[in-house]
Amino acid sequence: MTPSPAATLRNIVAVARREFLWRGRTRTFKATTVLLVVVGVGLALAPVIIRFIDRGSTGDRIEVVVGDSSPAVDVPGALGLLLNAPIPGLPTDRQTTTAYRVEATTDVEAARSRVLDGATSALLVLDRTASGDLSFALYSKDTFLSRTTQLIRQAASSIAIQDRLTRAGIPPIDQAALFAPPDFEVLSADPDAPTNGPQTGEEFASTFAISFVLSILLFMAIILYGQWVAFSVAEEKNSRVMEIVLAAATPFQLMAGKVVGVGGLALVQYVVVLIPSAAALIFQDRIAAFIFGGSPGAALPEGLSVPLLVVFGIMFVLGFALYAVLYAGAASLVSRQEDVNQIVAPLTIISVGGYIVASYAGTGLIPIDSPLVVILSFIPFFSPYLMLTRMGQGTASPAEIAIAIALLAAFIPVALWVAARLYRSGVLMYGQSPTPRTLWRALRAR
Amino acid sequence: MSLVLDSLVKRFGKVTALDGISFQVEQGQVFGFLGANGAGKTTTMRIVLDILRPDSGTVTWAGIPSTDVSRRTWGYLPEERGLYPRLEVLEQLVFFASLYAIPRREAAARARDWLGRFRIPEYEKRRAEELSKGNQQKVQLIAAVLHEPDVLIMDEPFVGLDPVNVSLLKEAFGEMRKRGTTLVFSTHQMEMVEELCEAVAIIDRGRLVLGGPILDVKRSSGRQVVRLGVEGDAGLPWLADLEGVSVVRSGEDYTELDVRGRDPQDILGAALARGERVTQFLIADPSIEQIFIERVGRPPSEDHHLASAGAGASPSGTATADGTDPAEAADATSGAAR
Repeated sequence: MTPSPAATLRNIVAVARREFLWRGRTRTFKATTVLLVVVGVGLALAPVIIRFIDRGSTGDRIEVVVGDSSPAVDVPGALGLLLNAPIPGLPTDRQTTTAYRVEATTDVEAARSRVLDGATSALLVLDRTASGDLSFALYSKDTFLSRTTQLIRQAASSIAIQDRLTRAGIPPIDQAALFAPPDFEVLSADPDAPTNGPQTGEEFASTFAISFVLSILLFMAIILYGQWVAFSVAEEKNSRVMEIVLAAATPFQLMAGKVVGVGGLALVQYVVVLIPSAAALIFQDRIAAFIFGGSPGAALPEGLSVPLLVVFGIMFVLGFALYAVLYAGAASLVSRQEDVNQIVAPLTIISVGGYIVASYAGTGLIPIDSPLVVILSFIPFFSPYLMLTRMGQGTASPAEIAIAIALLAAFIPVALWVAARLYRSGVLMYGQSPTPRTLWRALRAR
Repeated sequence: MSLVLDSLVKRFGKVTALDGISFQVEQGQVFGFLGANGAGKTTTMRIVLDILRPDSGTVTWAGIPSTDVSRRTWGYLPEERGLYPRLEVLEQLVFFASLYAIPRREAAARARDWLGRFRIPEYEKRRAEELSKGNQQKVQLIAAVLHEPDVLIMDEPFVGLDPVNVSLLKEAFGEMRKRGTTLVFSTHQMEMVEELCEAVAIIDRGRLVLGGPILDVKRSSGRQVVRLGVEGDAGLPWLADLEGVSVVRSGEDYTELDVRGRDPQDILGAALARGERVTQFLIADPSIEQIFIERVGRPPSEDHHLASAGAGASPSGTATADGTDPAEAADATSGAAR
């Protein structure tokens, strides 16, 4: 029947209310909320916590054996300077606190065993090749790609160059001045680009982190809360209460109520987790100052703007709604809760795909302005992830963002129609495994 | 006002579940919906409730198509009993009522009233999963009547209830009837039908076999049951000479006869003419169970009996042999195969 809008609204509210209150009272919900708050605050305070744990440590020890190489440079001294050089563009109070300690030694074997038992991070042994160049051997438990190894490799290159320059007769000059990094700015080629102006390394790191974190938050919400909806449908079907509810409410009302109820609860959990986490993030300097002394400051993390948060909110709600209705439709096709994961797997894969492309684009593994990323950022299933990432990176114009949101919003009724169809025939289907044929019949059913 | 089902057809893939079901339920009637398992009872009920849509045919209540009738019209007790297992009893009842726009306070008051009447008031704060099956069933019935529907549709309401609860349920039926509620229920317990129903519909394999007021249904068989008791040895061999009379059962003090196509009074006349001293003479209509067996070809609750050895034959074969209209049986078979 075609119920009046008032009746539809009333039933959606009634179903949503039950879903919200009942699920909110379960122990699982309370436990996950507490856990997420702890994890959120912990992550936000991670830098402070790491500093706190490291406050007694004097840094990693690197041992150097110069041997007979007689370099033209004070290797331990130069290495120490180079390894502990400040990261360009980062203010002094944000520099990493883990320092490297470089010590000279002569006994290779003894130092090597110190590396093995962890007392020393790495051992660098110098020698000269037949051509007279310095050569280096690094003994370490780390891999070739570890940060320490890479830093030592860079420093070794500098030292080797310096050694060559000295041997070529160029007088030694101030090492720090010679190898100090130059100013280096990255500017958008487009003068109208949203973030015009120089982007420092720190800004880049921050925008990257922000869009990365936002897509993780979105991804988790869609997977976690989408599955709540799916399980809730399967539960109703499994307990056979479905038929009673269906006699009173239309499948559409039932499904919409479920999505609204679970979505509302998801939003509540989100806010409950985000507020302390955001507070911890904003006040981490103050907390650090309290623990370690020094001057406090408070600021929103760089790159997190109000428009970005607003778009995140919209994408959160719309993206969740899109996936949740389809999760509900899919879950209505199975009879047992064990089968839910299997039936929603295609949706989950699409969601994971969107998330992976977004994080690749965010880290630069795929160029952020490649056609793939740009096209996918308009397609409803992917736009929540990709448009958010493009916006975080400043490569999406407001018009593009608006179009992506409009397309997403317009697609939701389509998804709702499909899901309600599946739901209508699915919820009374027991013991049959859904085949493409039954799906097709469900969609065409009157 | 009446509930009219007109030529309902419903197919699930290749299986024809309903093959042109039509019958009518008058307002305020207690209506029995009879059929063996798989006959199409649940499908018919779901169509009436607009949970399923028929492939063709219509259902109307007071002339309005069921798709346009307010859902408040119907109360439904499905065959598959189910509640939210971890929700408290009162809370579920209020939730179900809220779907019919009953205010929460009002719903709670009505629910408490019904829980009291069904003698389970102490369960209002219990979670449904903690209740016994019979009590869960009572809660479900309450869920179906809280919004005071015009028509209460129940799928096997008596199954799983102990005798005490069966009589509680019968009392509740009586009360709802007084309020003018139309009661439609399916069952294969024929004694319930005899006791409660004013009209019935008997369906078999998706087709209506027989329907109408109970008396008409009984008379439609064109036969009557006569119980004759005489003094002395009750062999009564002369009965075999009477046309249209067959002995159903020879008891100690009476003989039960099936009388077809003649006036039962003739038998009394014949007995007296032979000088028998009649101690009992009773004329009755056949029971609904007998009619069901006669028309459907097997007892309504056949599942309770073992199949006869080597009875691999199709049920439709039995039906034909037992005198069901062969054309109809053939139709039903071809319908199922379509």
